[in-house]
Amino acid sequence: MGATEQAAAQESLIGRRIPKMDAPDKASGRTRYIDDINVPGQLHAHILRSTQVHAKIRSIDTSAARALPGVHAVITARDVPWQRPIGVAKDHLPLKTDRVRSLRDEVAAVAADTPEIAAAAVKLIRVDYDPLPVVSDPHDALKPDAPLIHPEPHGDDGSPHLKPGAPVAFTGKPDNVAMTFDYAQGDVVAGEAESDMVVEDTFKLHYVTHCCMGVSGVIADFDPKGNLLLYSNTQVPFLHKREFAELLGIEPGRIRIIQPPIGGGFGSKLDIYPFEPIAIFLAQITRRPVKLVFTREEEFIASPTRQPVLLKLRSGCKRDGTLTFRTVETLHDNGAYTSWGATTPFVMMQTISSLYRVPHCQYHTKAVYTNNPYAGSFRGYGNLQATFAVEAHMDKLADAIGMDPLEFRLKNAQEPGEVTPQGMNFKTCGLKECLTTAARRSDYQRKRRENAARWNDGNPIRRGVGIAAMLHVGGGAKIYPSDGCGTILKIDDFAHVTLITGASEIGQGSETVLAQLVCEELGLPLSAVTVVNNDTDITPWDVGVHASRTTFIAGNSAIGAARQAKAKILAAAAQKSGLAGGELDLKGGHVVRTASNERVLELGKFIRSLHFSDKAQLVMTSFYYEPPSKHQDKQFRGDVSAAYAWASQVCEVEVDTDTGIARLLKVTGAHDVGRVLNRLGIEGQIEGGVVMGQGYALTENLLVEGGVTRNPNFRDYKLVTAPEIPEMDISFIETMDGEGPQGAKGVGEAPAICIAAAVANAIHNATGTRIYAAPFTPENVYRALHGAAEPPTWNAA
Amino acid sequence: MSAIERYCAPTSLEEAAEILRGGNVTIVAGGTDLMVQTQIGKLQFKPALMNIRRIAGMGGVRDEGKTIRIGALTTMTELLDSALVRDRLGILRQSCDQFASDQLRNAATLGGNICNASPAGDTLVPLLVLNARVVLVSKPNGNVVRRTVPLAQFFAGPGRTHRLPGELLSEIELPAPPTGFHGTFFKFGVRPALEIATISIGLGAVRDGRALRDVRVAYGSVAPTPIRGPRTEAALEGRTLDTETIEAALRAAAEEVHPISDVRASDWFRSELIRNTLRRMLSHVHQG
Amino acid sequence: MSIKVEIGFRLNGVARRVSVPADLSALRMLREELGLTGTKYGCGEGECGACTIIVDGVTVNSCLMFAADCDGRDVVTIEGLAADKRGERLRDAFVQHGAVQCGFCTPGFVVQATHLLEKHPHASSAEIQRGIEGNLCRCTGYRKIVEAIADATPAAR
Repeated sequence: MGATEQAAAQESLIGRRIPKMDAPDKASGRTRYIDDINVPGQLHAHILRSTQVHAKIRSIDTSAARALPGVHAVITARDVPWQRPIGVAKDHLPLKTDRVRSLRDEVAAVAADTPEIAAAAVKLIRVDYDPLPVVSDPHDALKPDAPLIHPEPHGDDGSPHLKPGAPVAFTGKPDNVAMTFDYAQGDVVAGEAESDMVVEDTFKLHYVTHCCMGVSGVIADFDPKGNLLLYSNTQVPFLHKREFAELLGIEPGRIRIIQPPIGGGFGSKLDIYPFEPIAIFLAQITRRPVKLVFTREEEFIASPTRQPVLLKLRSGCKRDGTLTFRTVETLHDNGAYTSWGATTPFVMMQTISSLYRVPHCQYHTKAVYTNNPYAGSFRGYGNLQATFAVEAHMDKLADAIGMDPLEFRLKNAQEPGEVTPQGMNFKTCGLKECLTTAARRSDYQRKRRENAARWNDGNPIRRGVGIAAMLHVGGGAKIYPSDGCGTILKIDDFAHVTLITGASEIGQGSETVLAQLVCEELGLPLSAVTVVNNDTDITPWDVGVHASRTTFIAGNSAIGAARQAKAKILAAAAQKSGLAGGELDLKGGHVVRTASNERVLELGKFIRSLHFSDKAQLVMTSFYYEPPSKHQDKQFRGDVSAAYAWASQVCEVEVDTDTGIARLLKVTGAHDVGRVLNRLGIEGQIEGGVVMGQGYALTENLLVEGGVTRNPNFRDYKLVTAPEIPEMDISFIETMDGEGPQGAKGVGEAPAICIAAAVANAIHNATGTRIYAAPFTPENVYRALHGAAEPPTWNAA
Repeated sequence: MSAIERYCAPTSLEEAAEILRGGNVTIVAGGTDLMVQTQIGKLQFKPALMNIRRIAGMGGVRDEGKTIRIGALTTMTELLDSALVRDRLGILRQSCDQFASDQLRNAATLGGNICNASPAGDTLVPLLVLNARVVLVSKPNGNVVRRTVPLAQFFAGPGRTHRLPGELLSEIELPAPPTGFHGTFFKFGVRPALEIATISIGLGAVRDGRALRDVRVAYGSVAPTPIRGPRTEAALEGRTLDTETIEAALRAAAEEVHPISDVRASDWFRSELIRNTLRRMLSHVHQG
Repeated sequence: MSIKVEIGFRLNGVARRVSVPADLSALRMLREELGLTGTKYGCGEGECGACTIIVDGVTVNSCLMFAADCDGRDVVTIEGLAADKRGERLRDAFVQHGAVQCGFCTPGFVVQATHLLEKHPHASSAEIQRGIEGNLCRCTGYRKIVEAIADATPAAR
C-alpha cells in the first residue's frame, strides 16, 4: 500500500464522498450490458404481439414464417404445451392460447440468424382474430354485464393444461376483480363523529413507465446436459431461479443466472415477464443460445407501468388540529394480467394509516381486470399515489381550521419510539426534523403567505410553495418467508478482500457502499476490495433489490461477515503477539493496538503466516443477516420493516396561467437516512429520485386509450431533460438507527415519493386552484385554472 | 422496408439532377427524418438511395445585397453559428435555437426541414415570415433547369410538397428584410428545445412610430401545413398597436387557424394558446 | 436485403474499410460489424442521445445516420475518446462527481460533453444544460453530470 492510501485508510470512510467502483469502466464505454453481450452461435428472437386489444384467437398460420431462410423456429402456445403461468397471481401464460387480452399479448415468437430475419418472419405470421368487446375502464369492468377478462382458468377448455398441483391464484372468478385488500384500525365512525372538519375528495393518478435507458433483454443458453444459463437483468435472481425451474419442470439447481450490468431497474425487473420464458423455450427447441432484446417502442408497449389509481379519501380533524380519521377506497386498474401493481395497496396502507398520527382508519382497495397494460413495481410502489392524496388533505384540513399547514403537520407528526396502530415501530423517526428543516431552508411559511396574498393581482406569472412528507420502509419489508441476505468473504494472502454478496447492483451504488462498510470494519482502503454479486452459482441467497433494503440488509450482512473475519484475525494476532484480543484493532492495513494506533502486524504478512504455518488457515467467513422485522398478520398488522425512512420536501413552482406551464424551480428536501454512508452516492440517489418525481408530477404521461398506448416513444412521452431540472437543496437528518449498518436506513425510493404531493400543494398556493389528478401538464393545468377540467369522480360500486 | 438496389453519393448538382431524372430515388441529406420514417414504415425506400451531402456548393449563407441565399445543405448549427443569420435573420436564428438538440442540429439541414414539410417544422414558420422562396433544380431534357417557388406555395399537405420527383431543392432565397424589420419566433413548450411544436407563431414587422408596417404573421401546428396569417396581418398592418388593435388581431387569428386534437394537445387548448401567445407577443412589441 | 456499399473512413484515428448494407445505421455498423459496443441503442429515433458519436468534429446521433454516409469522414466513438487525453479528463470528472449510476447513458454524455467543451470551453452551467439537452438520463437527475462537465472546463483547471 502506498503512503497516501495508508493515510486515507486511517480515517473513517463513513460519510465520505466515494466514487462508484464501476464508474471508470462505465465512463469509458467498456461495460457490457445485456445488449452488448453476444454468445457464440446465438440466434435472435422476436415476438409477435397481438394487434387486437381483446379477441379470441381463431387460428395462427406460421407456415410462411417457417419457410423464410434463416429462421430456426417459430413457436406458438401449441408448440410449448409444458408452459406454465407466470406472474404474481399466476394468471399469465407466456404464449397466449385461446385469446388475447391486451395489445402487448405475446402470440408467437421467432428465432432466426439475425434480428432482421426474425422481424421479417414475425411479419409473415398470420393470425385470425375474433374481436371481443374492449374493457378499458375499471368502472366498466365492474358492471354486472361486463365481459370477463379471465373467464376460465387455463386448461379447462382443451388449451394447454396446467401441471397437476400447480398453484394458481386465479380460479375462475365470477367477476373481473383480481385482488382486494381491507384494513381497519380504530373505528372511523367514531372518528368522524369526533371531527370538527371533514373533507372528501377523489384523486386520480396516471400511467407512467420506468423508461430505463437500457431496454429489456435476455439470453438463454442450455448446455448439452440441459442445464440453463440465463443472462438476465432480474432484480430478484434467487426468486427467479426457483420460478424458472418450476416453469421448465427442472430442478432449480440446474439453473444459473448471471446478471450483466443493468441499464436501470427502478423496480421494473421484479417479476417474470413473458419474453423471458419465450426466449428460454426457443433455446430449448432450437438447442441454440437465444438472445432477445426489445426495441424502445416494445419497451413502452410491453413493460409494466406504474400502478394507476383512482382513490377516494375522506379525512377529518378536530378544531385544535388533531387528526381523527381517514377512510380510503381505491380502484386499481389491474390490466389484463396481474403483476406487482396489484399489491401496491400493501404499501399504500402504511401511508394511509401511519403518515402522521391517525387513530382511526378504514381502507378498502380493489384491483380490477381490464384490457389495459398491467402495472408492476416502480420506485415508491404505490406510495407516490397514497401520499398525493394524504398530503392534499393535510393542506385542506389545515386551511379549513385556519391553522398553518406546517404547524398542522408537526402537531400530528410521530416521534421516535411510537408504535402505530398498524404495528410499525418507529424506533428512529426524524419526521419533525425533516419538516422543520425543509420548511426553514425554503422559507416556506413566509413565501406561502405572500403568494396567497397575491392571488388577485392580475399577474399571469405566479409563484407557489407546497410541502409534503413521506414515510416508507427503510430496513427491508418482510413479505417473503425471508428478508435476508447472505455474504461470503475471503481475505487473500495479500490482504485483498473478495466480498461475495447476494445483493445485486442496479446502478444505485450498492456494490460501492458494501465495499465501504467492509473496509470500515477491516481498516483497508477501497482498492483492496473486489465485489462479486452477479452469479447465482457463486453468490449466497438474497431476496432481491426492492423496498429500499439493500444498504440496510446487505450492509448488515457484509458487516457480519467482516466482523467474523476481524474476530478470527485478532484472535490469532493476540496469540501471536501475546496481547489480549480486546486490545487490538484493524487500521490502515495493519493489526494495531487500539489505545495508541501503534502498528503490531502488517495484515497481508500476517495472513500469509497463518496460511503457510502448521495451522494452515485461510480467512474465509460467511454471514446471513435476517432483519428483526415481522410478517404482517392477516389483518396486515406487524412491524414489517426493521427501520422506517422519512423525508419532507418543499417544492417551489412558477405557474404561467396563460399557458398552463408549471415550472419546478426549487426542491428543498430533508431526509432521515439514519446515517450517511457514501455521501456522493446518497446525493445521487436523491437527486435522481427528485427528478423522477418531477417527471411523475409534471411531464410524464403514458396515454392509454381504449387499451392502446398512444405515445410509445420519447418524442411524445416526456422525460425530464437537463435544462428543466430544479435547484435542489438537500439536507440529511441522521437519526442513527440502532439496527442499521453504521446507523443507516434505506433511501432508494424516498426522494421520488412526495414530489407530486408537494407540487400539487404548491400549485394551489400559486393559483388558489387545487388539482386532483396528475400529471400537471400545461393543458391539464390550464384546463383546471380556466374551469375546463373535469375533476376525478368516484362512481365505482 | 423495401430493399435498396442502388446507392449513390453525387458530388455535383448536375450529377444529382441526372440521377433524379432516372426516377425512383429517395434523397437523404442529414438522415434525421428519413431514418425514423423508414424504420416505422411511414416511408418506403425507393430502389435508389441518393446521398446529397457531398454535393459541392450546396451549403453556406451568402449576402447578395437584395437577396440572402442559404444553401439547402446548411445545417441548423451552421445557421446558429452564422453572424449573417444572427444579424439579419434573427427570427430564423431563434427557431434554430429551439430546434431539437445539438446532435440533431449538427446533422439536420434547412432543405431537409423544408422537404419534410411537417406542419410543426421549426424553421418553416420563420421562413414564411421572411417571404422565403425555394429554388428547385432538375434536368428534364439534358439541360439544368431552375424553378423558384415561394415557400408559402410550396407545401401541399402534411409531409408533402410540390417538389416534382425529378427536382432537388438546392437553395433558399430570402429577400433582404427591410430596414428596421424585426421578427420574433415563439414555439410553445416546456423544454427549451427537443419538442415538436404544439403551436408556434412567427411575427415580423417594421416599427413605424406606434404602428407596425410590412406585417408578416405565420403559424405552425394549426393547419395541415405551416401557414401565413393574412387576416391577422391585415388587422395589424399600418395600425397603431393598442389594445383594440390587438384584440382585433386575436379575433382574426381565431378565424384563420384550424388546429386539430392529437396526442400532444386538444384543438381547444391550441386555440387558447394561439390567442394568449399572440396577445403576449403583441403586448411585448407594444411595450418594447 | 439492401445492396452493400463499400466505404472507407477514419475510425478513432485508424483508417478502416467496411462493406455495409445501404440502409444500415451507423450505430448498428459500429456495434454489430465493428464490435464497438460502447455506443448504445437507447431509442433509435434521435431522442435520447445514447448513440452519440463525433463525425467530422461535431456530434450526431448515430442511430439516425446512414453507415454509408461515414465514407470519407472522420468518426470518433467513446472508445476512441477513452483511449486518449480528451476522454481522460471528462471521465475522471464524471467518476469523481458521482455522475455515473447505471452508466448506460454515460458514453453518450461523455461524447457530447467532449464536443460541447471543445466548442464552448467557457460554458456556464446553464449553457452546459442546454448543450446536453439531447441526452436523457433516468438515474442521476443530471445535476452531477452538469457539475462534472463544469469541472472539466479549462476555467476549472
